[in-house]
Amino acid sequence: MNQDNIAARIMGGGKPAEHTSQPDIRGGKPDAHTSQPEVYTSSGKPAGHASPPDTRGGKADAHASKLDVRGLDLYYGDFLALKNIDFSLAPHEVIALIGPSGCGKSTFIRVLNRMNDLIPSCRISGTVMLDGEDIYGSMDVTQLRSRVGMVFQKPNPFAMSVFDNVAYGKRMQGLRDKRRLAELVESSLIKAALWDEVKDRLKKSALSLSGGQQQRLCIARSIAMEPEIILMDEPTSALDPIATGRIEELIGELKKDYSIVIVTHAMHQASRVSGRTAFFLLGELIEFGDTREVFTDPADKRTEDYISGRFG
Amino acid sequence: MNTRLIFLEELNRLRHDILAMAARVEEDLGKALSALRANDTELAKEVCADDAMVNAMQLKIEDETAKVIATQQPVARDLREMVTIFKLTSNLERVGDHAVHLAKTVIKLSGEPPFRSLEHLERMAETGCQMIRACVNAYLNQDAEAARQAAALDDVIDAGHRSLTEEVLNLMREHPQLIKKAVRLLAVSGNLERLGDHITNICEGIIYMCEGKHEELNE
Repeated sequence: MNQDNIAARIMGGGKPAEHTSQPDIRGGKPDAHTSQPEVYTSSGKPAGHASPPDTRGGKADAHASKLDVRGLDLYYGDFLALKNIDFSLAPHEVIALIGPSGCGKSTFIRVLNRMNDLIPSCRISGTVMLDGEDIYGSMDVTQLRSRVGMVFQKPNPFAMSVFDNVAYGKRMQGLRDKRRLAELVESSLIKAALWDEVKDRLKKSALSLSGGQQQRLCIARSIAMEPEIILMDEPTSALDPIATGRIEELIGELKKDYSIVIVTHAMHQASRVSGRTAFFLLGELIEFGDTREVFTDPADKRTEDYISGRFG
Repeated sequence: MNTRLIFLEELNRLRHDILAMAARVEEDLGKALSALRANDTELAKEVCADDAMVNAMQLKIEDETAKVIATQQPVARDLREMVTIFKLTSNLERVGDHAVHLAKTVIKLSGEPPFRSLEHLERMAETGCQMIRACVNAYLNQDAEAARQAAALDDVIDAGHRSLTEEVLNLMREHPQLIKKAVRLLAVSGNLERLGDHITNICEGIIYMCEGKHEELNE
C-alpha cells in the first residue's frame, strides 16, 4: 500500500481500505466501470431526467453541480436502505441532511466518499458524479477521499502533536519540504479558526486540546488535504454550545473555499448553517429545498411533522 | 413520540389570552357604539378607561409569545403562528385605540343635537364588531377562507366612510357654523375606516399562518 493510500485512509476515517482491490459495490450493472453516466429508470422515472428534485432553492442546477447523485439505491444485503435518491451539491454550498435516527442520512453521506465500500453486504446502483466523473467508476478511491474529506461526530485526533496531526496526510503523500509543511499547517489551522489558540503549542499533544479544539483540529487536518468537499457527520454533537457556535461560524467561513454537506440532529443548526436542507425518512429523500423555505413553509407534511417535533 | 405536549399547552394558553383580548376589544367597540346611540358619556368614559387594560393584555401576550419562541423554538407552521400572534395583538390594540377615539367623540359631541350621519358611524362600528369576531374565529379555527371572508366586510366600512364623508362635506357647505363638529365626525369616521384596515391586516396574518404565503387583501 503506498503512502497516498494510507493518507486517504486516515483522512477518510482511519479504517483499513484495500484500495488496490477496492470492491465495486455497484451490483449488477454491466457498465459499472464505464465512465458514462447511467440513467436510472427502474423506479418508473422518465429516462433522461436531468434536474434535481429541488425546485425551490434553485441554487444548484445540474450543470453547476460539484456533486450530482442520480437514482441512488443502496442495499445492506436485502435491505433497501436508500431509495432512488437524487441530490446535487453546488460549489460553495452548505447542505444540511436531517431526519430521524435510522433514516439513512449517515449512510448517504458515506456514499459520497465511498466509506460504505468497507461494508461487505453493501451495494449500490445509480450514479454519483463528482465534477462529471463517476466516483464509483474508474476514479481512484484514494484520490476521491483527498477531494472529499470527512469530519466525524467524535473528534478523533491522532496521538501525536498538533503540528503532526495537520501535516500527517501530506507527509504520507510524500511532502517532505519543512517550510511548505509549516505553511500548510499554519494556513489549515487559520482556516479552521484554531491557529490563534494553538500557535504557541504546536508541539504539544493534540489530545491535550479541548473537545471543541480537537474537532477544529480534525477540520484543519481535513483542510490540509486540500479537499473540494467536506462531509461532516454530526460534527458538534459531542461539543458544548460555545464550541458548537465556533464550528458553525467556521462552516460559514469554510464555504468560501469548499462545498459542505453536514448531517445534524439539531434542527436549528441545520437552519443556521445551511443554504439547502435535505430531509430523509425511511431511506427516502422526502424534501430537498431552500433551508429558509423548509423551516418556515415545508412542502411536505412529513417534513413539517418532523421538524416541528411531532415524531422522531 | 410526540414531543410537543409542553408547546401545545403553552400555545393553548396563548390562544386563550388572545380570545380574551379580542373579546375585550370587541366589547369596548360595542360599548362605544351604544354610547354613540344613546349619547351616553358615562359608558364612553368606561371605554376610555379600559384602554390601559387592553394595552396590558397585548404586552402580556407578546411577552409570553417571546418566551415560547425562546424555549420551544417553533418552526414551520408553528413559527408562522408566532409571527401572526405579534401581528394580531398589535393590530388588535390599534382597533382598541379606535374604539377609544369613537368614545371620545361621543363625549365631545354630548349635548349636541344628533346628526343623521351618525347612522353611518353606527353601521361602521357594528361591522367592525362583526369583523373582530369573524377574524378571531378564523384564527382559532385556523381557517384561511374564513379570514378572507372576514376581511371582505371591510368593504361595508369603506362604503360607510365614503357616504359619511360626502354627507358631511355637503353639511359643511350648507352650514359653515357646524364645521368644527363636522370635522370631528370626519376624524372618527377615518378612525373606523382604519379599524377595518387593521382587522384586514390580521386576516392577512392568518392566511400567512395557514398557507405560508403573503396575500394582499382588499387592495
